Amino acid sequence: MSLSDGDSDLFSSLFVFRGRASPLGEFAVSVAAAMLVIALWELAARAGIIAPQFLPSPSRVVVALWTMLTEQNLVWHVAVSTARVWIAFLLAAIMAIPIGIMMSSYRIVGAALEPMIDFIRYLPVPALVPLSIIWFGVGEETKIFLLWLGTFFQLVLLVADDMRRVPQEFVEVARTVGANSRQVMTDVALHWMGPTLLDNLRITLGWCWTYLIIAEIVAADSGIGYVIWTARRFVKTPEVMAGVVVIGLIGLVTDQLLRLLHRRLFRYL
Amino acid sequence: MTGYVQFVDTAKSFGPVNVVRKTSLGLERNSLVVFLGPSGCGKTTLMRMVGGLDEPSSGSILLGGEKVVRPDRRRGMVFQSYSSFPWLTVEKNIAFGMRYRKDLDAMQKAERIGHYLDLFGLADFAGSYPNRISGGMRQRVAIARTLAAGSDVLLMDEPFGALDALTRERLQVELRQIQIREEKTVIFVTHDVEEAVFLADRIILFSRRPASVVADIDVAAELGADRPLEIRETQKFFELRNKVLHLIRNETGVVV
Ligand SMILES: Nc1ncnc2c1ncn2[C@@H]1O[C@H](COP(=O)(O)OP(=O)(O)OP(=O)(O)O)[C@@H](O)[C@H]1O
Ligand SMILES: [Mg+2]
Repeated sequence: MSLSDGDSDLFSSLFVFRGRASPLGEFAVSVAAAMLVIALWELAARAGIIAPQFLPSPSRVVVALWTMLTEQNLVWHVAVSTARVWIAFLLAAIMAIPIGIMMSSYRIVGAALEPMIDFIRYLPVPALVPLSIIWFGVGEETKIFLLWLGTFFQLVLLVADDMRRVPQEFVEVARTVGANSRQVMTDVALHWMGPTLLDNLRITLGWCWTYLIIAEIVAADSGIGYVIWTARRFVKTPEVMAGVVVIGLIGLVTDQLLRLLHRRLFRYL
Repeated sequence: MTGYVQFVDTAKSFGPVNVVRKTSLGLERNSLVVFLGPSGCGKTTLMRMVGGLDEPSSGSILLGGEKVVRPDRRRGMVFQSYSSFPWLTVEKNIAFGMRYRKDLDAMQKAERIGHYLDLFGLADFAGSYPNRISGGMRQRVAIARTLAAGSDVLLMDEPFGALDALTRERLQVELRQIQIREEKTVIFVTHDVEEAVFLADRIILFSRRPASVVADIDVAAELGADRPLEIRETQKFFELRNKVLHLIRNETGVVV
């Protein structure tokens, strides 16, 4: 280990216990590790260690992805899925933020809602599929409802927790300079919660995507979940994997964008 | 009993727990009164009641003869931690004190902000966020905000507790000067006997919970109003400090 802290040694700090950050070095390692996994996977598949209907090689997945893009309208399916996820997610967020805040601000709201929400939160979404079909049929409503179900109840409790953690000192400073309850919420609590709120939104958006497949298996004729499910019926494993990879990529990109937004919005941290 | 801030048979219990025993006490206007007492004895509770943030279980608190019923900007709080808002710059933090004041126009507000930035030596940090400045600077911001709000009673709950010795000393000197110059009434809670003696016009010593007054020490009569740093090295200061320590040992039932 060298003591020099010149920025020429991009990688040395990565080996130090709790070492300094080196964004470029870390990015290089991330890419290299991913490449290594893909290369090993390709080798394993080519060597015939695993039958291709179980694990097709990455190159075949890429070919499948290309065919899906050019011939099977993959972009449209992705757009449909993204729209479903975002509509459900935004609905969940718009409802969860005020309700969560109220739950922690007024004991009566908390007492009324918390046990109920806690109960529903533990219901597995798939178990509610039949019920949701009975209620909403097999159209878009059911899909949005299922996605919403998977996110709203989690998010509302996270928001309530964040609100509860607003330091009493801040609330009292605001009250002594003349803020009323509403102003304490908008001018202090929301600002304090901002960073954790955005983090929680980012995380629950991820969960929303995980429920997508369940929602789109239910009598859908569009969406990435539908594409994966159809491919599975014909044991087109490369297509199935390509679909999964696409979801992963969308997740990765969204997550990074939201992290970037976080850094932009909360420069003071 | 007279005074600007008056506790009139004030008592406080949280459920079955009696925290403040029936207390009557008058605090002079434009004086700095230190509340001293063992941990958990009820000092913060007393202060919060003055702020209107807690209600006495019985009796009342008067400010200028008027009963305190809710918090308002005449009594400002300065805490040890979470004293300034991290999402606001120094300037905006000070401005927050006037955010809900309708009696000042934008020009007057800007003028006041400028005044307090200068008064606390914060002008160079006006655009900085609290986590970019030192702990001492953050406490200055908090005090400036309270003054900008127009408080004439400052309720300070161990405001310098987390600062290093040197910064703490500087802030004590500044606080004392500003308190005199701006004619403010300050209630100051601390555990530090030296700090108490150095700052106080008067020290009120409380017993263990439930708090009751066990000693009332007129520091101004001994040390005068003016407190240069050197006063800490005088015989008088030492004697007073030892007297207070002695009182704490013998009167509050606490082993220090
Ligand atoms: N909201 C509350 N509900 C119940 N008990 C409380 C409440 N606030 C304070 N207490 C109790 O009242 C007692 C006095 O608390 P207080 O914070 O006023 O003490 P303190 O003198 O400021 O202590 P410290 O020196 O540690 O800051 C403590 O035993 C505390 O547990
Ligand atoms: Mg306290």
